[in-house]
Amino acid sequence: MELSTQLAARFEKLQTAYPFKRSALIPMLMYAQDEYGSVSDEMIAEIARRLDLNNVQVEETLAYYSMLHRKPMGKFHVQVCTNVACMLRGGNDILERAKKRLEIGHKEVTEDGVFSLEEVECIGACTGAPAMQVNYDFYENLTALKFDRIIKELDGGRVPPPEPVTAGALHAREPGETPLISRRWGIKDSRKIDVYLEHDGYKALEKALKEMTPESIIDEVKKSSLRGRGGAGFPTGMKWSFVPKDSPKPKYLICNADESEPGTCKDRPLMEMDPHQLIEGMIIAGRSFGAHRGFIYVRGEYRYVLDIVEAAVVEAYAHGYLGKDILGSGFDFDILTHTGAGAYECGEESALMESLEGKRGYPRIKPPFPAVVGLYGCPTIINNVETLSSVPAIILEGGENYAKRGTPKNGGTRLLCVAGHIAKPGIYEIPLGMNMKKFIYEMAGGIPGGKKLKAVIPGGSSCPILSAEEIDIAMDYDSVAKAGSMLGSGGMVVMDETTCMVDMARRIMHFYAHESCGWCIPCREGTSWLKKMLDRFHAGYGRNEDIDIVGELAKNMLGRTFCPLGDAAALPTISIVQKWRNEFEDHLNGKCAYKSAEALVGSR
Amino acid sequence: MADTKLVTLKINDRDVQVPPGTLVIEATRRIGTEVPSFCYYPGLSLQAACRMCLVEVEKMPKLQTACTLVATEGMVVRTNTDQVRGARKAMLEFLLTNHPLDCPVCDKGGECELQDMVFRYGADTSRFVEEKIHRPEEKWSELVYYDAPRCILCFRCVRVCDEGMDVKALGVGMRGANSIIIPNREDHLECEECGMCIDICPVGALTSGTYRYKTRPWEMTYVSTVCTHCSNGCKTTLSVRNHEIMRANNRDLSGINEDFLCIKGRFGFDFTKHPDRIRQPMVRKGDKLYPVSWEEAAQTAATRLKQVYDAGGKDSIGFIGSNRTSNEEDYLFQRLARATFGTNNIDHHRTADYTGLVTALGDNAVDSLLTMKQLAEAKAVLLVGNDPTEQNPLAAWQIRKGIRHIGAKLFILNARDIKLKRKATQFVKLVTGQEPAAIRFMAHEEGQLPSNLVEQLVQVKAALDAEPEVAIVFGAEVAGAAIAQLVAFGSKLHGKVRYMALGDYANSRGAADMGLLPDRLPGYAHIDDSAAREGFERLWGGVLPSKAGMTAPAMVDAAQNGKLKALYVMGANPLSHFGTLGFGRGKLDLLIVHEMFLTDTAKIADIVFPAASAYEKEGSVTNTSGEIQLLHKAAEVMGPRTDFDLLRILSHQLERLGLGKAFHYKTPAAVFEEIRKAVPGYDVQAAGLLTGGAESTQVHVAKNGHAPYDVPVGLIRSAQDTLFTSGTLGRFCTMMESLPEAEAKP
Repeated sequence: MELSTQLAARFEKLQTAYPFKRSALIPMLMYAQDEYGSVSDEMIAEIARRLDLNNVQVEETLAYYSMLHRKPMGKFHVQVCTNVACMLRGGNDILERAKKRLEIGHKEVTEDGVFSLEEVECIGACTGAPAMQVNYDFYENLTALKFDRIIKELDGGRVPPPEPVTAGALHAREPGETPLISRRWGIKDSRKIDVYLEHDGYKALEKALKEMTPESIIDEVKKSSLRGRGGAGFPTGMKWSFVPKDSPKPKYLICNADESEPGTCKDRPLMEMDPHQLIEGMIIAGRSFGAHRGFIYVRGEYRYVLDIVEAAVVEAYAHGYLGKDILGSGFDFDILTHTGAGAYECGEESALMESLEGKRGYPRIKPPFPAVVGLYGCPTIINNVETLSSVPAIILEGGENYAKRGTPKNGGTRLLCVAGHIAKPGIYEIPLGMNMKKFIYEMAGGIPGGKKLKAVIPGGSSCPILSAEEIDIAMDYDSVAKAGSMLGSGGMVVMDETTCMVDMARRIMHFYAHESCGWCIPCREGTSWLKKMLDRFHAGYGRNEDIDIVGELAKNMLGRTFCPLGDAAALPTISIVQKWRNEFEDHLNGKCAYKSAEALVGSR
Repeated sequence: MADTKLVTLKINDRDVQVPPGTLVIEATRRIGTEVPSFCYYPGLSLQAACRMCLVEVEKMPKLQTACTLVATEGMVVRTNTDQVRGARKAMLEFLLTNHPLDCPVCDKGGECELQDMVFRYGADTSRFVEEKIHRPEEKWSELVYYDAPRCILCFRCVRVCDEGMDVKALGVGMRGANSIIIPNREDHLECEECGMCIDICPVGALTSGTYRYKTRPWEMTYVSTVCTHCSNGCKTTLSVRNHEIMRANNRDLSGINEDFLCIKGRFGFDFTKHPDRIRQPMVRKGDKLYPVSWEEAAQTAATRLKQVYDAGGKDSIGFIGSNRTSNEEDYLFQRLARATFGTNNIDHHRTADYTGLVTALGDNAVDSLLTMKQLAEAKAVLLVGNDPTEQNPLAAWQIRKGIRHIGAKLFILNARDIKLKRKATQFVKLVTGQEPAAIRFMAHEEGQLPSNLVEQLVQVKAALDAEPEVAIVFGAEVAGAAIAQLVAFGSKLHGKVRYMALGDYANSRGAADMGLLPDRLPGYAHIDDSAAREGFERLWGGVLPSKAGMTAPAMVDAAQNGKLKALYVMGANPLSHFGTLGFGRGKLDLLIVHEMFLTDTAKIADIVFPAASAYEKEGSVTNTSGEIQLLHKAAEVMGPRTDFDLLRILSHQLERLGLGKAFHYKTPAAVFEEIRKAVPGYDVQAAGLLTGGAESTQVHVAKNGHAPYDVPVGLIRSAQDTLFTSGTLGRFCTMMESLPEAEAKP
């Protein structure tokens, strides 16, 4: 088919950018959709032809990703988030408003084709909840009025300026904060290489390349006791040391920027305001285990962030920090940015690799682990954005100094996004090991409106939920685990006493059912069943036995699914049934007094 | 594997020894312990998706999938604990949530893996009260229907289509609980229509256009026999109800093909009930054929043959046999020609030069003829000519299997860009007819070839020389002297070399082995070998002629010019496509035909006998790689008789007229007993055959002065059937003929 010059050029570039052509598939589909509004049969055939694939291979990949459409969406695709953080701050009201204002429902298009509406899962704007995206533009802290104003402008053909920076990222620093990797946030043009260079930029790289050996880099990171900031908390230095040194295959580094754990929006400002810190961290990491190529896999929704990172990569090449013989050290390193297309599952490392290879984001069987058999079957290290962004600081101040910022085995600082019913939602950089209660009440301003605290999701919706009584704990990986939950991704969601926990369980399960990849039976069928059941229960049609069944089904998934997504769906559900069983019972008796359930129960 | 140390693990307190690398699920099966699974399928990539095979392993906190867990020394596995049983029950409960439970009308009901597992491991009550996901059923092709709600997403179909067939016609659409299987062309399939996806489906999600909603599994009987189409000899199990074949598959994975069948093996059986089947004997009166009684037809045939014999002598009669009749029938047919009529005018449509191969190998043939199994085990394959994907689908499957499982290397010399090219390590493009020259160069570095071709052939030679085992497979393009040169080339390679000639039809090899050749006795002894002749003379009585007879094309030509007076055709259609002097019956006084349908040859015959198909008879056939298997009668069609019966009847009639001796074999098995004793290489073990297996024949000929052997150009000729054609039979396979893919093929 005939392509525009721009798209054709983009395709040509993508087709040759990767070690294997098929990797270009998802970006090609995304850029094609950007131009045409959807992916047509002819486009599928065209892309298949260009990548030596069968149509069905393109189709099945396309069908997996929620951002890719076969039918045209509106010129302005309005995507309202109703996931937990947004829900707690009125996301559902915004959605209702959108339906009324646009006179269309979920996944529908207005008659004139100008607008389409979609209720979406967490878009990574939790500290600016409720939020939405129109095409790739973020609008945060929405109210019905603000929403109407945006739509009115769009209707008039003007695109209102999107929020320039993740809401909540910039705020007056609290005394307890220890900005390290976020220290350049708020500096004008902090994303530019010149500004970065003025503020210690690429000094760590110079040190790593000139004064350190690959082994000593790994040692330094081991000493820092840096643990993966994506959620699992695996010691980073140890992970790097797993890469077989004698493998004749190329080694790869992947930066996991598929941030999509509900409640989490820290990687977005890290890339938005300090992309060079990430790039520097990646080069150092690559150096440590002998990778010469890095990929930054950015979730599809973060297109503007991808553009920022891409621009930074171009700058880094221009300044000789990327490419051949970096700083005369003889070390070569290339970085390729890559867009996802809407799939939470692709945050799981092996699914991400499948996705990066241009396939459906199905997780892989482990072992072998990515450090041995990863991308394209080669040794691969996958680290989160925050993990890699911490590397320059570790190299600069030394592993031991970095470690001292936190608690034993939990080195350094970490970014914590706090959202929901909290007075000062935002992204804070705090030392690991800070007391959670102190953080909520002192740093984040406590619960607004004099309400009482009911529950806390400590680090993304996959964690078991803590009750108000359980939060007097240190926020490090081990202490939170001891309290029966996980530090997770740093996405904290706070719920006050007005929160209906049945509704919360329902909404969480909606997310996992939507995001289940469908590979294994317990997750695919379990999340779907639980979703339907919790919907029914919350709508007032519950039965007494349902309460136990919810808990049992979640336990039947737990530990038996192919990848951790099943556990992620089961754990919060089990914790809610255990800790707030009374609320389920109240529902049965029609006594749910919580606001969010009122309409539903009343309609019985 | 004697030097490989076995690994000992404990399964349910029993010590089990397995080779290193064995999966726990296989180790459990070894001791007869069932660990259920849907997605695990031997030979296909691992998935660990269905979670049915979760087992307890000591020192591992979580349950482990036995299908991905490799057995290690000292591992302690438990497959039947409360935790394991609970997990299985839970998985089945999850699976049934969106499964429609329309078992009473589902094709799979009664033989459904999900049904069986729920029966064995499932819960007795259902707790699911929500709405199920519903989708309408989709028709993907005449042969394949998809019912998404029944689908349990084990992805076997997707894998077998991709990994097994290299067709990649299936994919997965949507995600999560909405996941579905999608076909490659929007709402329909465009593929090889092998139906592997249907058979491999553990539930009733993929159903067959020819079988769906026709019957229930328990209403049928199951007859395992050999596919009657190509020469590969796939075992096919025919499901029969009221003597009618309802479907064909091979779910017990027995036979050389295990679960493989192509479109013909799986769907090409409907010719048996085609309305055009000849159901009565017919005799020509004037310019028309009239149905007559069996007595009249047999009487007429014998009398008129005797008349021609008396008037024109032995060699005034010719015999052309079939590529599809059984070994026993072929054996009797040539006995009729040689012993009863005393002529070597006997031949068949030769589609591969088996004689050439056996002769070229001489005494080494016993050890150098490649079996289908060995084809999948060879480290390197050299394929010269032929298009196995279309013409020899099992051979193609075996080649792909070797590439997939042991990283076999495939080298192709072909004038066409055949589909296997994309699996090839090296593909050398020839021009049509260049195969012998290329082989000659490989063998002796002789001949004038373009330099780029020389370069490629040198590379192929070097690569093959480095392999420990080489399978050389070739089509009709390589015959006579070219085979001798191919063997000369093979003998120079360092590794063990085995050969396979690829013919066209179900018993092409058997026809040659049984001596449907003008110059060879059964077992390839040359007709001038007096010792060999005497052996058969003792069995059959009379004196066998020692001079080679006419080939099939020569007979057709002789019919045209009047040198041949009578032609006896069994299951062939020579008068429409053999010969160089024109077609038709020419100056024949008598033409007798055994046939299933009124072919061009049958239409102009004087006497036509309605013949049974391979699916309606007992006997044996030999596939192109020389493996013999038993046919079993599945269908009963009113009217036709087996060629065995027809020949037997005729022999009695002829004896009464003073010609030869009547055949006193009561059953094909009795003929087979004689073949085992009399035909060199056919003294195979009966046990393997009787249990439904294949036995390798060990034909070979001593180099008795007839090597090198060469054949006239054009005598060995492949019909170039595709997946959607099958000679005469194909034209009466209604379903196959109706497919758009069949039309698209030339």
